[in-house]
Amino acid sequence: MKQWQLLAGVCALASVVALRPILAEDAQAPVDPTPIGDEHAVPYHLNEADIEAGKVPLEQIRDFGKLLFSARFTTLDGQGRPGATSATIPTKRPPGQVPMFFRTSGPEADSCAGCHAQPIAGGSGDFVANVFVSPQENEFDFDTVEPELSMERGTTALFGTGLIEILSREMTADLQREEHHAMAQARSSGKPVRVALTTKGVSFGAITCNPDGLLDIKELQGVDPDLIVKPFGQKAVWSSLRHFTVTALSLHHGMEAIERFGPRWTGETDFGGNGVGETITSGDLTALVLFQAMLPAPAQVLPVDAAHREAALHGEKLFNQIGCDSCHRTEMVIDTPFFTEPGPQNIAGTLRPEDVAKPYAIDMRKLPWSKRLNIRADGKIVVRAFTDLKRHRIADAERPHFANEKLTQSFVPVDQFRTAWLWSIGSTAPYGHRRDITTIHESIVDHGGESTESRKAYEALPVADQKAIIEFLKAQQIVPDDTWQADVASAPADATQPANKVQ
Amino acid sequence: MNIKPWSPKTVIARSGATKQSTVPQTGLLRFALNDTAKLMVVACLGLASTPALAVDAPHFVDETASSGIDHKYTGGWEFYVGGGVASFDCEGKGFPSVFIAGGTSPAALYVNHSTVGGPLKFEEVKDSPLALKNVTGAYPIDIDGDGIMDLVVLRVGESVVFKGLGGCKFQRANEMWGFDGGNNWTTAFSAMWEQGQAWPTFAIGNYVDRNAPGGPFGTCEPNYLIRPQGGHFGPRVALSPSYCALSMLFTDWNHDGHPALRIANDRQYYRGGQDQLLKLEPGQPPHFYGLAEGWRKLEIWGMGIAGYDLNGRGKPAYAITSMADQKLQVLDKDADGNPSYADEALARHTTAPHPYAGGDVRPSTGWHPEFVDVNNDGYIDLFISKGNVSKMGDFANKDPSNLLLGQPDGTFKEGAMEAGLVNYDSARGAVFADFNLSGMMSLIVVNREASTKVYRNVGWGTEEHPVPMGNWLAIRAIEPGPNRNAVGGWIELRSGSRSYRRELTVGGGDASGEAGWVHFGIGEAERALVRVQWPDGTWGPFVKAIANNYVQINRDDIAPHYWLPPYADTASAGDAVK
Repeated sequence: MKQWQLLAGVCALASVVALRPILAEDAQAPVDPTPIGDEHAVPYHLNEADIEAGKVPLEQIRDFGKLLFSARFTTLDGQGRPGATSATIPTKRPPGQVPMFFRTSGPEADSCAGCHAQPIAGGSGDFVANVFVSPQENEFDFDTVEPELSMERGTTALFGTGLIEILSREMTADLQREEHHAMAQARSSGKPVRVALTTKGVSFGAITCNPDGLLDIKELQGVDPDLIVKPFGQKAVWSSLRHFTVTALSLHHGMEAIERFGPRWTGETDFGGNGVGETITSGDLTALVLFQAMLPAPAQVLPVDAAHREAALHGEKLFNQIGCDSCHRTEMVIDTPFFTEPGPQNIAGTLRPEDVAKPYAIDMRKLPWSKRLNIRADGKIVVRAFTDLKRHRIADAERPHFANEKLTQSFVPVDQFRTAWLWSIGSTAPYGHRRDITTIHESIVDHGGESTESRKAYEALPVADQKAIIEFLKAQQIVPDDTWQADVASAPADATQPANKVQ
Repeated sequence: MNIKPWSPKTVIARSGATKQSTVPQTGLLRFALNDTAKLMVVACLGLASTPALAVDAPHFVDETASSGIDHKYTGGWEFYVGGGVASFDCEGKGFPSVFIAGGTSPAALYVNHSTVGGPLKFEEVKDSPLALKNVTGAYPIDIDGDGIMDLVVLRVGESVVFKGLGGCKFQRANEMWGFDGGNNWTTAFSAMWEQGQAWPTFAIGNYVDRNAPGGPFGTCEPNYLIRPQGGHFGPRVALSPSYCALSMLFTDWNHDGHPALRIANDRQYYRGGQDQLLKLEPGQPPHFYGLAEGWRKLEIWGMGIAGYDLNGRGKPAYAITSMADQKLQVLDKDADGNPSYADEALARHTTAPHPYAGGDVRPSTGWHPEFVDVNNDGYIDLFISKGNVSKMGDFANKDPSNLLLGQPDGTFKEGAMEAGLVNYDSARGAVFADFNLSGMMSLIVVNREASTKVYRNVGWGTEEHPVPMGNWLAIRAIEPGPNRNAVGGWIELRSGSRSYRRELTVGGGDASGEAGWVHFGIGEAERALVRVQWPDGTWGPFVKAIANNYVQINRDDIAPHYWLPPYADTASAGDAVK
């Protein structure tokens, strides 16, 4: 092609692009300002400061978060990390070692909703959607599903996770407050002080504070020594939705967030080496997190049929009687209804409240679906998530199914898992952290370790009572949200950020 | 459906440009820009909403006036050098206190009364036996292994060892411990425990013989080695040759379990001298490495020494301060077991030969070097205090200290201006410590004939609202027996694919030293595996440590011991947190 032909072509194209909106407006026809042939999945990015300043309506934040959650990221958006591993800590690798998509070590998904899809976006996933997570930064290109190299994980439903995270923040604050108080007492008295750590009725064992400031944590249970109740991940290793989301975007999609992979920490703008660079802004992440946090809490949907309904109600009583609720707590109460983002449990590498001018706050009581919640007269929200957010040893020699891992994740022993929240179990088969259990009954009888007593009690029940418990659990469902598009404008809260992080 | 209009609003174009644009008033978000040319605007994605870069400097707030430290290092020729400061916890509460040399003025002990994360507050201990005159520097060390820090005070004249009694009280112990460090112009010190010994070995570095005929040039006083004898110190043994030492450091340069003594000597006064490395083998007389053993002659105005394992090979590199070019000595890859060092200062941008501010283009004078991660980004930084000796016309008078920030590519870049550390007083000794137990390393700088400066590290934040930068861990290695703080050992920390190693030493710097928590910035790492190589060479097991904590590792324990700072007791304050 001669130069003048090329120039003419470019001019013609530019004219079309430039004039197209005008022509469209003249014709009063709907205008799609998207460039013709554009293959970006992410149309623009949000500015965190604008969100904090209230310049972006919550509807837009939510919708943009939903868009990001469902977007099938393209290379134009910055998909791919050929020059970086999936490690949470930015880690280089020579490009070209593995394909752009790689089913085992990732990136292995186009979008969040590719796995979080059942029954709707934000939900759980089929066995086929399992992912393989390696805690070892140096063995990242594994091409096997052998458990010596990675941990296989099913997809967890995200509905109600805003309330879950608030719950964890308050539990953390309680535990740390108790710890600090005991240590102050030990220092002032000159004698060791043992304190039982309990929050919202959940015991995390005990610690002993010594006058010299050293902690004896031998009796600590189900939580890391920092006493941060990490509510996410099967092993309770992610302290917030944001913490998990930043990691998952990189691992599963090769979409690296600036706040972890950008120049602040790596000195580079394209740490992943995809040629486009890190493109996920902190504002994008806030939108993505708030979308997840605002996903409706699951609800109990009792059967219409009287017999089944009766069985479900009876099942709940039995569930409690045989001790299932000792871990799968039927009720926990949130003191503050505000979800603030970024949250106080984040540490460097994930945006923290200290990093922003003002965390964005949402009053969860004002969300459209909040009418389903049990909000007490004092404004506190009763959460029926059926979890204690604590790690438990749930496998033993007799019932080893859940001990099918061979790698520790983030220092958590292989036989310990966070108590699964059951408030969506009726919508999220199959079961287990590997999604390899097809029925609720099988899942129950695979319980060992700390849950042995309850499992035995279940096994000792008449079959009809076992069925009643199952009917009760089947009633815990993700409810298709007919109010999703409803107005959420009243939800932004001009609330002072709850000081739920001690020191 | 009740959708309220929203427009216009601020979004960031894919290219990163912050734009005012109109977003359609439906739930469906559309591409917001209708001008193709605008799409091509290139800007930094999302950075409009992010604070400063971690690889850049934290903010230091000058809290000298409110700190309670009102101190100067004063005096004539004998006190052109020295000006050291020692940092250690003398109260047993976790907050590092400081002892500051005064030259012709009395030295002073300042007890740390700061609160966790708060402003730096100190109070001078009156009537302390430490308040001696003619002090050039000091180093904390638990000599008798009783768990209470003792103090070695260097002087022009008799140096003194003080036994720590607890509660920031001290007792002169020269006679009790048989210590006789001579009656010299003492300017350098280092200590270690030789294998099998229950008592430390001291190296005493001396400067010019003030009384020698024809002095001061070519009249360096002998340095001394003082080895244990029974339950106390033996006689001092002169090390020959001696070349006017200004810094000494016992360091296991090749990580073979036998520390050698690295000595930085001042070429201003020696004749035919050089920097030195003294080999100390059990049962063998001391021996200086020579050319035949790979040692390369280094003739500088050697002022201070700091070691750090820059390459992750378990063998320290040494920053050695001087006049004009600062040195960064790195063991050759092909050293083949010999102490052959090449200088990487130029390649790593740590020469810092001239002032970077103030307009004085004459060469700098470096004193105290210290490797410390001030921004906790996981890349070690290097501080170098600067200041004219007195009125040396060939060297810069306005000579601010350097804060060389470690970069991901292994180089360093100047960050003192951004950090707020530019000061034109004549700096000498210095110490970084976590003075307010915030996880951020604050700084105290001793100035000659000017006030000692106190700087609080507030990270990305401000005086009122400090904001931590990266994650960190503070580690303390404790073993039973005389060498309680595992001097001569190593702490190794591994997070992700990165390893950090620090040698546990007493000595070096510009007559300045610290004892206590060993600080590691670990960037975005949320946890780390930590192990200790004890001084006898035994590696302990890896223990698991959660980021942003103080962790004590006891020998023979398989679990770490977390230590909690004295946080405010909100539970007893009316449950204010809720």
